[in-house]
Amino acid sequence: MRKIGVIYGGCVQHHRTYNEPKYNRYFQELIYLPEFAEASLEGFDVLLFPSQLHQGLVAQSKEKIRKFAENGGTIVAFGPQAHEWLPGQNWEFRPTNFWWWLEKDATSGLVQSMPEHNLFEYITLEDATWHYHGVFYPPPGSEVLIEVEDRGAILYIDKVSTAGSLIVTTLDPDFHYGSYFMPATERFLDGFLPWLAEGNW
Amino acid sequence: MKDLLMLNSRSNFVEGRVNDPRFQHDFTIIDAYDLPGFDLTPYKAMVVPGLIDQEFLWKEKELIREFLDSGRVLVFSGHLFRPWLPGASSFVPRTIRSYHDYVVSVRQPHPVFEGVKPEDMTFNKGVAGFFARGHHPAPEGAEVLLTLPDGEPIVYIDRSSTKGTIFVHSGNDLFGYMSSESTSRRIGPQLIRWIRDEHEQLQAKGEAV
Repeated sequence: MRKIGVIYGGCVQHHRTYNEPKYNRYFQELIYLPEFAEASLEGFDVLLFPSQLHQGLVAQSKEKIRKFAENGGTIVAFGPQAHEWLPGQNWEFRPTNFWWWLEKDATSGLVQSMPEHNLFEYITLEDATWHYHGVFYPPPGSEVLIEVEDRGAILYIDKVSTAGSLIVTTLDPDFHYGSYFMPATERFLDGFLPWLAEGNW
Repeated sequence: MKDLLMLNSRSNFVEGRVNDPRFQHDFTIIDAYDLPGFDLTPYKAMVVPGLIDQEFLWKEKELIREFLDSGRVLVFSGHLFRPWLPGASSFVPRTIRSYHDYVVSVRQPHPVFEGVKPEDMTFNKGVAGFFARGHHPAPEGAEVLLTLPDGEPIVYIDRSSTKGTIFVHSGNDLFGYMSSESTSRRIGPQLIRWIRDEHEQLQAKGEAV
């Protein structure tokens, strides 16, 4: 099992999601964000950056995060990202449609672009479907696993920008699970975290 | 009159408020981590958003208490899990079986919710669940304004735990409805007016003592 560190921002959404026993068992440690700059990252294989972290503190640690990836580590980022703190991240805000499922013949617009990928042995496209706050345009050579029909990545893996892996999704399951809102987000975490601990990419 | 201090968690969902025209007139918005050492004298109230770092506020709980004990107002919207707010208890989620579990009722009419239809709080474009999904047990003597179906207090006002006034809402930010197409858009401006009135009364009371 990989050693996963979670960067914990101290908000209730993170507290609930990352201390929930069925998820917490996958984590070696929760690293409190205000202490991240001083924290030793030795022994970690994966660092998970939850959604809604304090952007000022994340920006201060940009170099440290990059170095971790350059040393072969895996960085995971959840949620909308208005600031560039990961190499190759290219975010575009899209107004959120919370209501798409109320429309006639509704589709979320999400497409599974690499159905053969190992991640989809752990989650289905439905488990990744609630709403999204924007899309990414990752660098060429990245693997886009879930995208929007009219272009833009919802979940991608970038193994070209650094010597490690960047697993980036605009989805924010931890915010919703931590807010007691939207059941699909729990199914996403139920599959995604075991994959992160033992799956292939 | 930027006499209301809003703490910014600098999370993606709230970061933009610093430049949002709707917040410029009434609020001074600061990075929450700048709170220690910040001169709080000019402010009538502190507004704390639900994405705030509660580990940090817990460390600063004396500062929060002093602010309240000097006759000021604190407004919190969100789910509490650390004991930084005097008199308050941790959030208790409601078990949700259907949308009926989200129905908001008015326990006591109050200027903050005047003219706001309960159904406009329960539903947002026909979908329930945005407003509140649980409660904080109210401290003794608190005034309960809104409730969930089993009487759980969604919003309470506590004037007993400190010499100031604490306003707690167990759901999404009450200043987040200002662009709503329904009557819920009244909540933000009415809450601002109520904070200033409440502060005035607290100051008058303080002078009388």
